[in-house]
Amino acid sequence: MAAERVRIVALQVVSVGVLLVAWEVVARAGWVDALFVPAPSAVAGAFGRIARSALAGLGDTLLKTAVAYVLSVVFGVAFGVAIGSVRALREVLSPFVVAVYGMPKILVLPWIVLILGFGTAPAIVYGTIHGFFPILVLVMGGVRDVDRTLVTVARAFGASTWQLYWKVLLPAIVPTVLAGMRLGVVFCLLGVLIVEMFAGVRGMGHVMGSLANGFQAPELFAATALVSAASIAIVLALDVLNDRLSHWRG
Amino acid sequence: MSDLIVVESVSKRYVTSSGPIEALHDVSLSVGAGEFCTLIGPSGCGKSTLLGMLGGLVTADTGRLLVDGRPVNGPDPGRVATVFQDAGLFPWRTALENVEFGLELQGVPRERRRAVATELLGPLGLRDFAEKYPRELSGGLRQRVAIGRALAIDTQIILMDEPFGALDEQTRLLMGEWLLDIWRRTRKTVVFVTHSLHEALALSTRVMVMTARPGRIKRVLELPMPYPRAMESAEMVALRATLWSGIRDESLRAMGER
Amino acid sequence: MRVPALRAAILVLFLLAWEGVARTANPLLYVPPSAVLPAFGRLLALESYPDLVPSLLLTLREILVAYALAIAAGLGCGFALGLNRTIGRAYGPILAALYAVPAVVWYPSLMLFFGLDAASKIAFGFLLGFFPITLAVLAGIRQVSPHMLVVARAFGARPLVIFVKVMVPAMLFTLVGGLRTGLALSVIGVIVGEILGSRSGMGALINHAYGLFRTSDYVALVLVTLVLIVGSDALASLVERRAQRWTD
Repeated sequence: MAAERVRIVALQVVSVGVLLVAWEVVARAGWVDALFVPAPSAVAGAFGRIARSALAGLGDTLLKTAVAYVLSVVFGVAFGVAIGSVRALREVLSPFVVAVYGMPKILVLPWIVLILGFGTAPAIVYGTIHGFFPILVLVMGGVRDVDRTLVTVARAFGASTWQLYWKVLLPAIVPTVLAGMRLGVVFCLLGVLIVEMFAGVRGMGHVMGSLANGFQAPELFAATALVSAASIAIVLALDVLNDRLSHWRG
Repeated sequence: MSDLIVVESVSKRYVTSSGPIEALHDVSLSVGAGEFCTLIGPSGCGKSTLLGMLGGLVTADTGRLLVDGRPVNGPDPGRVATVFQDAGLFPWRTALENVEFGLELQGVPRERRRAVATELLGPLGLRDFAEKYPRELSGGLRQRVAIGRALAIDTQIILMDEPFGALDEQTRLLMGEWLLDIWRRTRKTVVFVTHSLHEALALSTRVMVMTARPGRIKRVLELPMPYPRAMESAEMVALRATLWSGIRDESLRAMGER
Repeated sequence: MRVPALRAAILVLFLLAWEGVARTANPLLYVPPSAVLPAFGRLLALESYPDLVPSLLLTLREILVAYALAIAAGLGCGFALGLNRTIGRAYGPILAALYAVPAVVWYPSLMLFFGLDAASKIAFGFLLGFFPITLAVLAGIRQVSPHMLVVARAFGARPLVIFVKVMVPAMLFTLVGGLRTGLALSVIGVIVGEILGSRSGMGALINHAYGLFRTSDYVALVLVTLVLIVGSDALASLVERRAQRWTD
């Protein structure tokens, strides 16, 4: 087992290394236009140059994402539990939820920008819309799939409606909520970045859009790597949280 | 009237997509305090429905149910506790926390309910498993926790709906012996639903055979012999044959209906 | 009977409320439904945007190319990663990590590399469609019960036969589900690409209408695009239901 693990890590390291070296060689040899595909060494050098503006932009983007994320989780879980657990609401509203969930949000982006203007507000609203629906749909499903026996047990032991929610339904959907939170954060970040690219005045999306328009490929690649790393770090952190909080799961 | 549980001409009809189904038809029975009373019969004969009514989870269409002289009107954890077929443990609670569940709902303070539950675990054979989550427990141990959860709220009556139905035969035999031991110590009144002839004969003070749908009480067997019962004795073998002949026709009828 | 009526009532009330609010607030900004219908008519009559049909066809073509590439690469990668244990364990986590990155971060680079024309939209649609297809193949392979494979091997089936007769049927439903998601995401990728920057296609028309404050035309264009999206998904769901019947 340990030997296999070493082999796999070695394979990962070697492949990434080979890829970078090959890329460097191809770029240096001039087989691709360095204007579009800069060598890894050039990208590494660009980190230093963009560090200040990119870090500020990343901070701005993550702040907006955080606000959108909190709103998505709070509203997604609240509406998900309400719609999922009240039968009349579920029957009447689910087709609407499914329809809006399935609709590409990009189509309403111009409209949101038209109404809210450029800047922070449309980014937060659009990021919230992006995060809200997947969480809502997941939580609704989670509530529907709660083991009916557990509800019957609680009723048999005299649980009040409040206790049914608090001691059965909510603990039972914790894994679903965590899964939704993991999914939702990527969607929120996606929404915020799209607005910043489309109509941003600040933030990482705006920075990357400007770099692309200015044909600053090394800087753009560096910025892309930075956002990707931040996003991966956030998701990994949520995974750790997920493992901690649902230790009772099989 | 000294009977703890009285069921008087109760009927129940379910409406399904393929038409109405009469689950119970004019069922009457009574159970005295301290009895171990078993309901046995073919699948779908309404045993579980009847148990659900006693637990206040199902309402009867006609007739009435009295527990301790008062009509059943919804779940009453002060008088009746229920053990379900597939344990129904809360997977996010440890064994101990599951046992505490009923007390927690009743607002018993934390230290007090923890003390009650901890004290229960010993005789239940669960002392070493207090901090385990249900997924870490075997089927038999899970069912012990479920029974512990019912015992914790200290009701006079415990209803058990095929509690060992999902277990393998050997575990079942052991769990039967274990339950007998618990029952003789606590002197609860038990109403027990099962498919197993062996369980019915080994555990009960009285067995009621139910008919295929719509369920009715077909016959009642009094079993006054002492515990533990020698199941291979001529007397028990004869009783087993009697019981089986009563159930066999009904099971055939129930099979034919499918 | 009562539920559909309630749903219809909610929809009607919603549209009425919108109409009322839009009229009293700012009809130009909030586009009352009554203004959308005539705009929709003008659009279909090719009055407001005479190049509607070529734009629609261009977008459709971009989607088809992007999706075809996504299927080819997704199936290839999925099977390579799923069937070879070492490759799967080495590159699977890398793929999963990349999936955790919101795809739009790649778009500026694609735009820089492929320019403002169709190629960058195709590349982005491909990228979005590629991941769900690959992941569905991986999930599907994990779903094939080892027991079935053992049985097949015990009956002397060769690897190719096992692949065709056991693995593919067993994972078909998951696979088709992934293909459906892949299509939806390829469609979204192309449209997002077009809206974020393009000179032609439906996204360009939408941007044009939005830029000139022709809001009712914008809504009409969105509706046409929605028809394209819903239509493609309906087709995919038809195929999915077929596949479900095969697997059952």
